[in-house]
Amino acid sequence: MTLLDSYVRQVLAALLIAGSALGGIACRVVATPGVFYGSTTPPQRNILRYVNGDEPESLDPPVSSGQPEARIYMALFQGLVDYDPKSLNPIPALAERWDVNNDSSEFVFHLRHGARWSNGDPITAQDFVYSIRRALAPQFASKNAYLAYAITYAEAFNEKAVFAVDPATGQFVSEQDVASPAQPAGIALSQKPLGPAGSEYDAGAVGPHGDPDVKPQAGAETAFHQFMHSPPRLTLPSDEAKRNKLIASDPALKTALQGKQFVEVEDKDIGVEAVDDYTVRFSLSEPAPYFSGLVAHQLFRLTPRKIIEQFGDQWTAPEHIVTCGPFKLKAWLPYNELVVERDPVYWDAANVHLDEIHFFVSTDAPTSMNLYKVGEADVVLNHTVPNAWLDTIRSKKDYMDGAEAAIVYITMNVTKPPLNDVRVRRAFNMAIDKINYAKSRRITKPLSAFTPAGIFVGYPQPKGEDFNPEQARKLLGEAGFPVAAKSGGGFECKSFPVGQVEFTFNSNSSNKAMAEFMQAQWKQNLGVTVPLRSMEFKTFMNARAKLDYKGFAIGIWGADYMDPFTFLGLFTTTGGVNGTGWYDVKYVALLEEANRTLDHNQRYELLAKAEKYLLDAQPLIPVETTAVNFLKKPYVKGMYPNAASLYAWKFVSIERDSSKWDYGVPSLAE
Amino acid sequence: MLRFIIRRLLITVPTILVVLTITWALVRLAPGNFYSNEKAVPAAIEKNIREKYGLDKPWYQQYWKTMRGIVRLDFGTSLKYEGESVNAIIARSLPVSATVGILAYLLALVVGIFAGSIAALHPNSKRDYASMTLAMLGISIPNFVLGPILVFVFALTLYWLPPSRWNGFFSRNLILPVLTLSGLYMAYIARLTRAGMLEVLRSDYIRTARAKGLSEWQVVTRHALRGGLLPVVSYTGPALAFLVTGTVVVERIFVLPGLGNYFIQASLNRDEPLIIGIVAFIAITLLLANLVVDIAYAYLDPRIRY
Repeated sequence: MTLLDSYVRQVLAALLIAGSALGGIACRVVATPGVFYGSTTPPQRNILRYVNGDEPESLDPPVSSGQPEARIYMALFQGLVDYDPKSLNPIPALAERWDVNNDSSEFVFHLRHGARWSNGDPITAQDFVYSIRRALAPQFASKNAYLAYAITYAEAFNEKAVFAVDPATGQFVSEQDVASPAQPAGIALSQKPLGPAGSEYDAGAVGPHGDPDVKPQAGAETAFHQFMHSPPRLTLPSDEAKRNKLIASDPALKTALQGKQFVEVEDKDIGVEAVDDYTVRFSLSEPAPYFSGLVAHQLFRLTPRKIIEQFGDQWTAPEHIVTCGPFKLKAWLPYNELVVERDPVYWDAANVHLDEIHFFVSTDAPTSMNLYKVGEADVVLNHTVPNAWLDTIRSKKDYMDGAEAAIVYITMNVTKPPLNDVRVRRAFNMAIDKINYAKSRRITKPLSAFTPAGIFVGYPQPKGEDFNPEQARKLLGEAGFPVAAKSGGGFECKSFPVGQVEFTFNSNSSNKAMAEFMQAQWKQNLGVTVPLRSMEFKTFMNARAKLDYKGFAIGIWGADYMDPFTFLGLFTTTGGVNGTGWYDVKYVALLEEANRTLDHNQRYELLAKAEKYLLDAQPLIPVETTAVNFLKKPYVKGMYPNAASLYAWKFVSIERDSSKWDYGVPSLAE
Repeated sequence: MLRFIIRRLLITVPTILVVLTITWALVRLAPGNFYSNEKAVPAAIEKNIREKYGLDKPWYQQYWKTMRGIVRLDFGTSLKYEGESVNAIIARSLPVSATVGILAYLLALVVGIFAGSIAALHPNSKRDYASMTLAMLGISIPNFVLGPILVFVFALTLYWLPPSRWNGFFSRNLILPVLTLSGLYMAYIARLTRAGMLEVLRSDYIRTARAKGLSEWQVVTRHALRGGLLPVVSYTGPALAFLVTGTVVVERIFVLPGLGNYFIQASLNRDEPLIIGIVAFIAITLLLANLVVDIAYAYLDPRIRY
């Protein structure tokens, strides 16, 4: 017994020693309690530790569509332009300036001289041609490829379409050859025969800041440019069965294709051209005024041809990778962190403030918050502050919030009754008190349109119908589902086929809260109890894209580029992102008309007209404009809660002088 | 003995193939794809992706391709993480999981056996009640509760330890996950040890040992512990296999780049090769661990012969 007792004592002593060792580790200073959330000791070196969310799926810019990857690409790779840290408008990157033709269907980018890859090779216009052709190749199968479909023949190339050619004359069949007079082909200026040199650029917008003294330069004439300005060629599906079916259904097409051969659309056919070493010209098949902002997207960022051809899909391995951004890869510890360091050969290296950025992986919001609180991380990603913590965190001076270029809405399956009746859809929209809903969510704004509120400056956003339960009941009655007042208060709508609708959402707590709110509103104001159905994320996305749901489903959309069209364009296709089954040629024509308009304000008005048309058709119920919210240590400067949570890292710095710190949200005003 | 081992190994192979076939089918049946995310891809792009990864081929061809790879222990490349081989991911994340798991189990063994022995040697004493109450708590508090409590106390309040993340082997980042993970096992081992020891201490050979005049220390360490620990040993095999191959919850709470974290992520990503690779690895480890336990049994208990 005594022996065992001494054993106990020994172990206790060991535990005590271990305990004091733990205690000795404590060395962190917790400064200014209350004003900020957790520690505010700036790091000794110019290193930023950023909690970036998910593990990046790839370091190959056109591969991934995710935000964590986009932020890493912004450190490692450059495009023609970059996102302004506040407004997200295009700012010069590898292109010094750019010119636009008279209907925004041709863009000429003038590259800066002296830009280099991280291995010292010069960056030229040919690099852009290679990168964009690669990103659009069907074998490459980029998820983002659709973003570039405005480029002439890009969609055809990406879809492996074919041209039809006369084997005798070598003449290609053009769209005009088969266009029925009923549908006049609206051709963009970029596809019309060229006028006198430079005449297409008279009124053209000049980027970046519209300097009136610099005359637009269309770039030199080339055979390729002539080809782009020839009548648009007819493209057909490469799949023979599909093509034959199409041809059989259209007599005009059948005659035009008699005795023709089919040749595949190749990468050299798409509308991107290196006019000379420092000029890149894009020809678009439709006017796209937002294009100069779009090319900041990762799909258009440069990838190194030599390295890719040498190492194949291993080119992004740390030992092989060559980059072209303000930072280069230092280390990649998967599922842990990715470290980038300042690249001395970057053209603007003198203005890069940080020595390193550590991108941490963490998908769990409380875990990220903890890292931030103890000072292991300097900034956490957007949407990391849990809703339940807002009361504590909101008043802190390092809490960042701002409007987000993203919306939450409810899609309705308009292909199935009873929601195929616009009156029913309007009734369900008007029965929701969105102002109260936004209040319950605390940081978001109620939304009555399809574009986010307060994001696109100068955009005359139309308004959808307001909360009006009385009118909603009347509409539902008109549609054949009379709503009656119940004796004990409230309403009932006995004839409404509740079994034909559901509210479907992907399971997470905030979606569930939203679904329950909507269910309660509809029950209270219409007397209809819509069943709720929760699904795992990917299952849900699949069901919604294929219209494999009845009634209602949750919808969330964030901007791909800073233009209302990134939202309004969702309904220009029938499948996938549409999610409602609603498609209207008049709506598409309205959008096309708007995009062809060069005057910025006039275009916005036309876009707003299209949006109003969409809201009147009501294939969706707008719910809220979401909000950016995250935490940033006060000593991190040059980082703003911009609407897309994308940061141009070269502007970010560490400030050790506490009198220059950010106390509160730094202004987004220019 | 050798025949026993060979026989066991031979049953293992079909078991694993069945497990993997079921896994493969389940992944296929789950709606959604590795490429589906919040922005649905247009049909043409979906077609490109399916062709690139051979998903346009008939299911039996795809099944055959997967199984052929598995037989050669080549699980292919991840669908989500471009160009990364599944074998490389397992090789990279296993040491992380194993370090945390083995450290946690060692801690659990030391503390558990110690507490269990004390309790057994003084049945119904205060020490017994104290250690068994603690053990009961350890079993009833799940690690997703214990972890955050430890983080709250040691990281967020005292600022002693980092709250999460991997920082290399044997860094102080490991202390909290190891403690969290060992809690349950510690408690379980304490109870197993107590029960086993109580039974053994009453047996004839212990009385013989005492009658021989051996000191209490020798009786306990040489004779009682050896027999009393048998339940712990049979528990060690599967427990260690699970610990080493990653503990989903703890790796998630502490953001450790281990197998468990990859496993969860792979399922959410519908990353078929990675899911199958990790399931195969866990299944093999588990079956081997059980085999080792059976062998250890024969060594520890002279009455058992195969």
